[in-house]
Amino acid sequence: MWRDPARRYSNFFRRRLAILGGMQALDTSIDGDGPEARAARRIAAAAPGEARDAEAELYRLLAPRARRFGLRHLRDAHAAADLMQHVMTLTIEQLRSGRLREPERVLSFVLGACRLTVMDQRRVERRREDLLRRYADALPIADLQIAPRLDHQRVADCLERLPERERSVLVMTFFDDQPSDAVGAQLGFSAGNVRVIRHRGIDKLRRCVDSGTRAA
Amino acid sequence: MSATPQDHPSIDALLDYWLHDSDAAATEAIDEHLMQCEPCGRALDELIALGDGVRAAFRSGAVSAMASDAFLQRVVGRGVHVREYRLPHNGSVNCTVAPEDELLVAHLETPLQGVERLDAVVTLSFDPDVQHRLDDVPFDAEAGEVLWLPRFDLIRTAPAHTAEVTLLSVGAGGSHELGRYTFRHRPWPGAS
Repeated sequence: MWRDPARRYSNFFRRRLAILGGMQALDTSIDGDGPEARAARRIAAAAPGEARDAEAELYRLLAPRARRFGLRHLRDAHAAADLMQHVMTLTIEQLRSGRLREPERVLSFVLGACRLTVMDQRRVERRREDLLRRYADALPIADLQIAPRLDHQRVADCLERLPERERSVLVMTFFDDQPSDAVGAQLGFSAGNVRVIRHRGIDKLRRCVDSGTRAA
Repeated sequence: MSATPQDHPSIDALLDYWLHDSDAAATEAIDEHLMQCEPCGRALDELIALGDGVRAAFRSGAVSAMASDAFLQRVVGRGVHVREYRLPHNGSVNCTVAPEDELLVAHLETPLQGVERLDAVVTLSFDPDVQHRLDDVPFDAEAGEVLWLPRFDLIRTAPAHTAEVTLLSVGAGGSHELGRYTFRHRPWPGAS
């Protein structure tokens, strides 16, 4: 079986997750008795696969958060969606099997799994696809609200109303998500100056777009 | 557990986080916060959507900007088809827009050393009584040029006309002209 790369990676990942399952690897204070913990306990208490409603609820609550983590750290929508899917699938699998010994700490588990996945993905991009292929069928089905969509014409109209300096800094920032020091170096500004201009611009842009959304 | 309101990161902190302007400790703290706080997650989603909107508006040519050569290289590196015109100090150029063009850039060479604030005034021959004033435009004094990215969506459909751009140095003692540039635009032959 060790000649199968997908299975070899799966076992590698399982060992790392087993550590997380025992909650030895993370020292976080984000867990508690919220809806995530309650859903996790219901999954862990049920026979494997019998708590479909709780699995769907956990997926609805945590999948968007895993996806955001992936977007921030991988900067790629498809990679973030893949991370979301396999972190959630593995979380539910760990709960079903009882390997996540403290279900109420499911938030820490998911955060740790996200971090591990990002680290592993950076090292072994191809292996992630193997894992996803192996577990894709186990995904629960749930309605998932992802990022909002804005009226791009409205954003353009609002951008055009901004002072030249703020509009230019926002365009140079968001064209490919550049930090303030990079934008500053290109305009002869300090990073702090860019952040101030960016702050003013974003604030005006948000208010303008929001007022249009409310008026629509 | 729900985060208490005082724990919630500000919009600026979320923006710094998203744009990699936060340090490692702040990034880790916000990672943890977002894992438990859906309202902050939605606020970040809205910022991301706003950034997507800015990018889409720029890519569609619906906004103008003053930028830098380094930014232009990033745009070209992303596969955007750019038409560039370089104008010497007080120069002029015959210009157009080809069907495959996605962005128009004018390099306006001008002496910028000692300039505190730069304004630009644009006049169009088909509307000569109106001055379009751009106040306090960003510039890099070391570059010796201003990069103007005009609204591409308007120029693509514009009739033949002449545009004049005047750069003004503005200081405590008033303003004085730094340079004047003339664009003689003709539509691409056959373009509707």
